Amino acid sequence: MPAGLLSGIRVLDLGSGISGPWCAKILADYGAEVIKVEHPGSGDDARRIGPFAADDPNPEKSLTFLYLNTNKKGITLDPSTPTGRKLLNQLLADADVLVENYPPAQSKELGLDYDTLSAINPQLVVTSITPFGQTGPYRDYQATDIVTYALSGLMYHSGDSDKEPLRNVLDQSFYVAGANAAAATQVALFARLTSGEGQYVDVSASECLGGHLVQPLPYYNYMGAIKGRRPVRGAGFDELMPARDGYVAPSVQGSQPWSTVAGLIGVPEMLDEKFSTGAGRIANGEELKELLIKGLSQWDRMPLFLASGEQRLVFGMAQDAGDLVNCPHLQARDFFVEVNHPVVGSAQYPGMAVRLPGETITDSQPAPLLGQHNSEVYGQQLGYSPENLVALRNNNVI
Amino acid sequence: MPSAPLKNIRVLDLSRVFAMPFAGANLADLGAEVIKIDTCQAQFMDTTRTITGPFPDNQPGELWWEQGGTFQNLNRGKRSLTLDLRSDEAKAILKDLVRVSDVVLENFTPRVMARFGLDFKSLRAEKPDLIMVSNTGYGHSGPWSNFGAMASALEPTHGTGAFMGYMEAGPDGRLTEGQVPNKMGNSYSDFLASWTALGALMAALLRRARTGEGQWIDLAMYQTGTSVIGTGLLDFTFNGRRTLRIGNRHPVWSPHGVYPCQGHDQWAAIAVRNQDDWLALCQTMGNPMLAADARFADPIDRRQHQEELDEIIAAWTSVRTSYQVTTLLQEAGVPAGAVLTAKQVLTDPQHLERGYFETVHNPPEVGLRPKGYVGRGWKFSKSEASIKGPAPQLGEANDYVLGEILGIEPARLLALAADWTIGNTPEGGKAPGSVPLDEQVELGSITAYDTNYLAELPQV
Repeated sequence: MPAGLLSGIRVLDLGSGISGPWCAKILADYGAEVIKVEHPGSGDDARRIGPFAADDPNPEKSLTFLYLNTNKKGITLDPSTPTGRKLLNQLLADADVLVENYPPAQSKELGLDYDTLSAINPQLVVTSITPFGQTGPYRDYQATDIVTYALSGLMYHSGDSDKEPLRNVLDQSFYVAGANAAAATQVALFARLTSGEGQYVDVSASECLGGHLVQPLPYYNYMGAIKGRRPVRGAGFDELMPARDGYVAPSVQGSQPWSTVAGLIGVPEMLDEKFSTGAGRIANGEELKELLIKGLSQWDRMPLFLASGEQRLVFGMAQDAGDLVNCPHLQARDFFVEVNHPVVGSAQYPGMAVRLPGETITDSQPAPLLGQHNSEVYGQQLGYSPENLVALRNNNVI
Repeated sequence: MPSAPLKNIRVLDLSRVFAMPFAGANLADLGAEVIKIDTCQAQFMDTTRTITGPFPDNQPGELWWEQGGTFQNLNRGKRSLTLDLRSDEAKAILKDLVRVSDVVLENFTPRVMARFGLDFKSLRAEKPDLIMVSNTGYGHSGPWSNFGAMASALEPTHGTGAFMGYMEAGPDGRLTEGQVPNKMGNSYSDFLASWTALGALMAALLRRARTGEGQWIDLAMYQTGTSVIGTGLLDFTFNGRRTLRIGNRHPVWSPHGVYPCQGHDQWAAIAVRNQDDWLALCQTMGNPMLAADARFADPIDRRQHQEELDEIIAAWTSVRTSYQVTTLLQEAGVPAGAVLTAKQVLTDPQHLERGYFETVHNPPEVGLRPKGYVGRGWKFSKSEASIKGPAPQLGEANDYVLGEILGIEPARLLALAADWTIGNTPEGGKAPGSVPLDEQVELGSITAYDTNYLAELPQV
C-alpha cells in the first residue's frame, strides 16, 4: 500500500530508461495510479541495462527496471499503429498526467506532442523530460548521462583538482531530472485546481543540474573567479581519509570547539593551540594531516561515526551497498520495503525518499512483467472482450 | 494572463544554508509568499548571509549581510522577518504566524525544534492542516536522528563513494576498479533534498486541497541520498556486489570518458553507445582505419583496450576546443559534450536561447549590480514561474508581517525593536574577511580568475 497523497490521480508513464520512470515512480509512491506503457516486444530500455539479478541479462531481471517501476501497472501498445493509437487515446481520455522522455523529434513523430495530446484531453498535464529541453540549439543533441552532466556544468566540479573531472554516481543526471519532473508535474496539477486546464511541462535535465551551481555561478558573475574541483592539499578535513576498515570523512564543521575534534580522534599532539583555528590548520596542514592519519588508523568507521554524532560533530563515513542494505538506522526508519516479484523472487527494496509520518505504507507492488496488466487494463478498464484481446495480441498491437 | 500557481500559498521558511532555502526560493518563483525567518543576532544568522559569499568583487561592502551571491541565489523573491526565537514572545509571534500560513520549512536538528516548542506536533495544534517539511541529516526517527550533518560528510555516508572513484593501476599495470571513494561534491545531498522537498510538498498540497488534511514530511538527507542509488543497493541484495568505481568508464559502452581539450583544464565527454557511434567517431576523427583495428572491433575489445584507445582519442581532442569536439561529434550523431565551467555555463548558447538566467535588480543601497541568476529546470506552457525579486534585506518585512498580517500595535513593535528582536542590521556582527583571489588560487579554492569578467558576460 503506497501513501495516499495522490489518490485518484492517474498517470500514464511512457518513459523509458531512468528519468521518466523515476518521475512516475515518485508519483506512484505518493499514491497515484500509474500505468506504464511499453512497446510490445522490446519494452522499456531499462530492461536491457545491467546489472541484472543473478547476472542473467533477462528483460525481467534488470535491477534498474525492477527498482524504478514498483507500484506501477504495465501494459504494452505501439502508438505508431492505428489500433495502438486508439488504445492510447482511450487511456488518455481518463488520465491526469502523461510522462515521456523521448527525444523531442521522436515524441513529435509518435504524436506525443502537446498539441495532439491536449486535443484529446485538455485537462491532461504532459511532462516531457529530455537532456536539454524542447528548444534551443542542443535540443536534438545525442546525450547520455555523462554528456548531460558535462554540459550542465556540474561535472567540472566533481572529482580531484589534479585529475580529470569525474562522472557522477549511477546516472544521477536522470534521477535529478526525474525528481524535478515529479515536482513540476504536481505544480501543474495544482494549477489545474484553479484553471481547470492541463498544460505542458518541459523539463531539461541539464538545467535541473545547473540549479546546483548556486556557488560556482556567483563566484564568476560576482567576482570573476572560476571554482574548480576540490584541491588535494590541506589537512584532510571534509575529505575522505583512510580509517582501519575503510574511509571516513572527519569534519571540523558544526558548533563544537577544536578540542572536541582533536579529543575524539585521540592524538594528543592535535590538541596543540596552533591547530585550533581554521587559519592555523591551513598553515600547518601537512603536519596536521599526518597526525590525523595516525589517529584515524586506530579507528573503524562505525565507532568513529557514532562517537562523533554523540559529541555533536558531523563526521561522515564511506559506506558501500552492503553497509547501506544492513544499516540499522535505515531499518529503524522502515526505509526498506518487501517486494515479491514473480521472476526474481522476494527481496528488500529501498523505499521512499522521504518518511511520511501518519501514512501507512505497508508493501510495494513489484515492477510489472512486460504487458502483465494488458487484460486488466484493456479488458476491465476499457471494456475489450476476451476475443478482442486475442485479436490485439495476434496483430502485435499489444 | 498566466498566473503563478502558488500565488495564494504562504510559506514560513525557518531554514538555513542550502537545501530548504533553495526549495523555498523555488516556491517563491512559483508565486508563493515565502517569509524567511531571519534573526538580528549575528551568531545565529543564516551562514549564507554572513560567511559563504561570494561578495561583489571579493569585497564585502557596507551591507555585507545582504550581498552574498549564494545567499542571493538561494533566497530570491522572499520576504524577511527577524525574530529572536530564544524569547517566548518571538515564539508566540511565530505560532500566530503559523495560524495564517500554509507551509513551514525548517532544517534544525530534532532536539532544537523540540526545545523551542516548535516541533510539528506543537505547530499542528495552532494549524490543524499545516504542511511542514523537517529537513535533517538523519531524520526524526531512528538511532542517528539527533546527529548533525553537512552535505560534504553526508555524501559518502549515503553511499555515493561506493559508486564513484578514479580507477587505479592494478598488478599488471593496467587500470582496474579503484579502491578510494570520491564525491560529486557541490553539496549534492542538499540539492537532492531541495528537489525531493518540492515534490513531497506539492503532493501534500494536492491532498490538502482534496481532503483538508495536513502532512508532516520527515526528510532525512541520508535516506534521500540512498533512494537514488537503488540499482546499486539491489546489486548487493541480488548479486553481492558492493562497489563500482570505474572512473569515467561505462560498464558496457566503450569508449566512454572525458578527454583533454585545448586550454587550461578543458575537457569534453564522449560516450560511444554502439557500433554506429563507433564508426562515426572514427570517421569524424579522420581515422576510418581505426574501425578496422582488431583491438577495437567491438565494445568488449574496446573496453579491454580502452587505455590505448583513450590515447588516440585524446590526441585528436587535445588540439581542439571542448566546444569544437562537441559540435563535430554531435553533427555525426555521437553523444559528446563539453565539460563546462561556471563561466561557460553563464555564456552557453543553449541557456541564453532558453532564458535560463533571469536578471535580478537589487535596490541601489545593497551595492549589487544587476546580474543573471539561475532559473529552474522546467518550463510551463501556461503557468507563470520566474524569479520575483532579489533576496530580502534583513527584516524588510517586519512591519508588513507583524503590523499588517498580525495586527501588532506600533508601540509593541517599538519594544520589539528595542531588544533586537526585530531590526534591519546584525547585532554584534562584522564583515567577514576577504581572501585575495591570488591567494585563493594558491589555496586551490578557485582555479583562476578574470579581472575583466563583466566584459565576458552577456549584457543584463
